[in-house]
Amino acid sequence: MGEIAQTRFPDRRYQLGRGKVEELAELVEITGAEKVIFYNKLSTTQIYNISELCRCRVIDKFQLILEIFAKRATTHRSKLQVELAKLKYELPRARAVVSILKKEEKPGFMGLGGYEDSYEQDLKKRITRIKSELETAEKDDESLRVYRHRQGLSLISLAGYTNAGKSTLFNTLVDEESEAMNMLFTTLVPMTRALDLGGRKALLTDTVGFIEELPHWMVDAFKSTLDGIFLSDIILLVADVSEKPEIIHQKLATCHDTLWDRINGVPVITVLNKTDRLDPEELETRLEQIKYLAPNPILVSAKNGTGIPELKAEIFRHLPPWKTCSLTLPNSPEGMSALSWLYEEGIVHNVDYGEIISVEYEARASIIRRAMNLEQDLAE
Amino acid sequence: MWDIIAVDISGRHRIKDGYYMVCAAAALKISASHIEKIKQVKIQPRWLQEAPRLVDIVQLIEDTVAQIEFKGTIVTEKGDMYNEPQWVPDSMFTLAFKYQESIGERRAIELAHHISLSTRNLLLTELNIEAGQ
Repeated sequence: MGEIAQTRFPDRRYQLGRGKVEELAELVEITGAEKVIFYNKLSTTQIYNISELCRCRVIDKFQLILEIFAKRATTHRSKLQVELAKLKYELPRARAVVSILKKEEKPGFMGLGGYEDSYEQDLKKRITRIKSELETAEKDDESLRVYRHRQGLSLISLAGYTNAGKSTLFNTLVDEESEAMNMLFTTLVPMTRALDLGGRKALLTDTVGFIEELPHWMVDAFKSTLDGIFLSDIILLVADVSEKPEIIHQKLATCHDTLWDRINGVPVITVLNKTDRLDPEELETRLEQIKYLAPNPILVSAKNGTGIPELKAEIFRHLPPWKTCSLTLPNSPEGMSALSWLYEEGIVHNVDYGEIISVEYEARASIIRRAMNLEQDLAE
Repeated sequence: MWDIIAVDISGRHRIKDGYYMVCAAAALKISASHIEKIKQVKIQPRWLQEAPRLVDIVQLIEDTVAQIEFKGTIVTEKGDMYNEPQWVPDSMFTLAFKYQESIGERRAIELAHHISLSTRNLLLTELNIEAGQ
């Protein structure tokens, strides 16, 4: 509807100066706006003071994010996460909110009675209850992750700023139709699908997007979702390369800030998406400008599929290493059954059927050990 | 790969009779996500009676970095420069300067932080000063 900005120091009562707030109130009246959204963080008193003047709902950036999250939350877990984030946002404001609302009802000097404590205690109890529910879900996740690793599946996560095109890339990679739209936080519930990388099986997870200055209480609330990224084997950091270099730079820096101390040396591949919007010369310049923040950059267009084979090759290059060996099996029903097991667990590069079956085989170390034991057992 | 000098200062709070600070500078070669080579590390202790101002911090960093034989952009945490916008410290340094951004730079600062902190702890032990004083 409109935009207003002030460059001087923030006023404690209104965030903006009194004159600017009055200007804002006029703008609200003229445009009939239902909501005023502040980019900066607002205190409870500021929200109260501004809404008194503007006569409409006043929220800050974080409340807006919470509103979007609440709209997108569909599963029980994501609803719990959103509720936890809301409660954590509300907790430090609880005393002030009750203080303002119940000012005239309370006993004592300046109306500082006992309502605040009980409301605050109530919030704290609800936070503890939700946290314990989410912890149970995290344990389930952890055991699932261990199980998948044991099955030889590598875990790959898509990370990146919100609206970078992660879901579109996810669909292109796994050839599926999950919801992908030009809007913020389309993906709030992580989605995982199998991905075949030249015989190596991997699981690709699409996750919630990052945002600048994501406050700690919000990172905590979405911990179980973000853990999916931090504990994967490879991270695909997606960025929209068609944006202005300074914007890409700022968004990549935010992603690096969120990731750096939680990923423990996991390889990061920077997927520079939406290349179809730039010509090759522009792409080259753009890459030069941002490569400082782009480990292992790969240029792709998730929309038309350009660069996807190169991306898959790069992912394959960074997968945890497998071992190779040559095996000989008897050409018997037992030998054939062993061969079929080998096919399931790893990559069979070559098979020669003669009196014996010779196999060139690649798999993770534990499978190679089991295969060699099996080879010995069958020979005896 | 990029040549940087990662810098961190420990001890910018008052104990006993002043500010016992240690600045660590590490010359490194980094990629966007990793430290590729550690070339040299230098440390510089400094005692100040009054709380350090930005100009004192810049001077301490310049003195530490002057001992390093390799060239590179000085990289620090924003908090080390009192969260001033980049152009403020940039205009005070004689060498190229920037705030940490990439994972590689953040790992480099983490290294410098551990060096400055452990050196300061050793210094306080040797001087019989308790950190809580």
